[in-house]
Amino acid sequence: MGDVVTSMAFFWGLMLLSYFLMQNGMWILNDVVKSMCRFALGKALGPAIDFVEGREGSASKTWMMQGMFWLILASLFTFEGLWLAYDANALHSLSSWGYNPTSDSLLYAAGFAALYGGVGMLIIACSFHIIPKLADTELASEKNGTLVSYLWTLSVLFLVIAAHNSEILGVNIFLIATALHGLAFLAVLINLLLTASERKSALPLPGWLIMLGMLADPVSVVATVLGGIGSGAVQWLLAHLVSGTFFFATLAGISLYVSSSATGNPLWSRSLTAVTTVGAIATITPMGYSHGRMAADMLLVSFEEVSMQSTDGIAVAFLMALAVIPVMSLVANVMMTLRGGDAFVENPDSAGVPEINLGISMLLPLAVASLFIQSDALSHNPELTGMSSTLVLMVIWLVLVPLSLGSAQHLFPSVTGRNLLSANRSRWAFWMMGWGAFFGLTITMMADIAQIEAAADSTGIMSGEVRVVGAILFYGAAVGAIMHTLNALSGLYRGTPVSEGRATSTSIARDDYSLTTPTSVRKILAGGAHLDTTVVPVGESDDPGAPTDLH
Amino acid sequence: MPSDSADSVGEFIQGESEPSSSWVVLAFGLVLSLATLILHGMLFPGRDLPVISDILPVFDGVFDSGIWFFILGVMMGVFAIIATMMTEATSE
Repeated sequence: MGDVVTSMAFFWGLMLLSYFLMQNGMWILNDVVKSMCRFALGKALGPAIDFVEGREGSASKTWMMQGMFWLILASLFTFEGLWLAYDANALHSLSSWGYNPTSDSLLYAAGFAALYGGVGMLIIACSFHIIPKLADTELASEKNGTLVSYLWTLSVLFLVIAAHNSEILGVNIFLIATALHGLAFLAVLINLLLTASERKSALPLPGWLIMLGMLADPVSVVATVLGGIGSGAVQWLLAHLVSGTFFFATLAGISLYVSSSATGNPLWSRSLTAVTTVGAIATITPMGYSHGRMAADMLLVSFEEVSMQSTDGIAVAFLMALAVIPVMSLVANVMMTLRGGDAFVENPDSAGVPEINLGISMLLPLAVASLFIQSDALSHNPELTGMSSTLVLMVIWLVLVPLSLGSAQHLFPSVTGRNLLSANRSRWAFWMMGWGAFFGLTITMMADIAQIEAAADSTGIMSGEVRVVGAILFYGAAVGAIMHTLNALSGLYRGTPVSEGRATSTSIARDDYSLTTPTSVRKILAGGAHLDTTVVPVGESDDPGAPTDLH
Repeated sequence: MPSDSADSVGEFIQGESEPSSSWVVLAFGLVLSLATLILHGMLFPGRDLPVISDILPVFDGVFDSGIWFFILGVMMGVFAIIATMMTEATSE
């Protein structure tokens, strides 16, 4: 049995054990463990815990705002990385300050900033709101949740620095970053587990998706360490396990909750939710890097190239192909829930819903594209490696960021008690960010393909000129991130209080509505009608049909 | 904001407090940018677009790439966020 299959066996076993313990508790040790965890989250931190507020929603709000700030930095690093692939000396003037960024180092740092800073913090922000709601209880410790957000931000800052230069003054920066990250993650996990343990009723499936996704992150680390993390194949596996659980499974749970909450529609299918839950744990997502450098660096082991035994290769190919099933289930479920029987009638301009539509629409095509790229990367003669880093950027900026940011925006009023400052600015930011990322990265991928075809370097006229256009278009994502952050920040102070309600506007308005079959007033309103719309009954005839007479 | 068919497009592209004719400024800016690019191509065929150090020689050797226009734009955005944070927190 190869290292990868062994690691997967450990992973599945540990996940089953975790699920069993979550359902049944720890017998006589239950109360002792809970008391110790409560102490660890609160009084054990001493006076530091009194520096933060413990009002309901404060933890979620803090994580949300910091996640948005990180998205700005992530988009800036990504933009610079794309530009430097065209002009490697564009930032040479910074070398006088001792900073010599390259395209690779900037894109690597952007990966940490976007995944752990932006998406990760927004996921945790949403989880801190959703899990207590689904469990019908309160977050175990709002104060600890708030305080730990700063520790997490510090860890991401160290990760970003380490991505540029992993050793400064003889100190391994990844060591500090990993220690801080592990500590912060442990606190978040304990907080959520304690909250779930106080549930008043059975946790709905989206809640399980979030909890299992969170638990799977440390479990996958333990499983791969037991399976042999020194191997390049296991490092690759760890990167993909974290991608499929902490990022995919938790976002799936959050998206399902938000799609239902934003439209007022019940979840379209419980069975598909169950398929997504089991599938996310049982398979290996193809979405992610084609190497395990991030996992190796964070676990302080030397990075190895991916090289799989034949048994491992067959198992991985099979499990990656199976991963399309939970993706399809999620896409179908969220889309049908959003559409519902009376689409968007509750609030047609609900902030965040366009982002979720974008993210969920891009999920399936990018998952299938990733399957091809990863299968190629694991073969003996990879030919598409040049496209893999752009495809990862597409997954980040067209799936993970829209889903997490959209969910956070939708939950913003429930968390803060105020609406975002402006629905219009929200729409502008969505278009800037969505189209900027889509066109920018699509054009960058065209340059990658041109480069593969020409087998020339990126300073060639074709790929070089195209690359800079891609970078400039991607700049829209940075502008969109700034607009989103400004909108949320001003909304915290001057947004309309939720208790007063907020009138919404829509660009869809109809002067007349053709009524072909008996229907409800809700469905007519969902079709864009308003109070002054004329409802026109369309005549029907019971005469049998016949060919159209042309003369 | 009530929904009204005649104003629906206007609502979509305007901020809440913007004057209704502000789109003229946006359109004018777009046309001016395109016209400047075309003019530059005609007057200086084959030459790269000027960068900050070409316009302000004091920054020669520092801002000598087009990327700095974009980085300064993000820096302005970040300063706008900091300014918003400070003014919102102290406005009352």
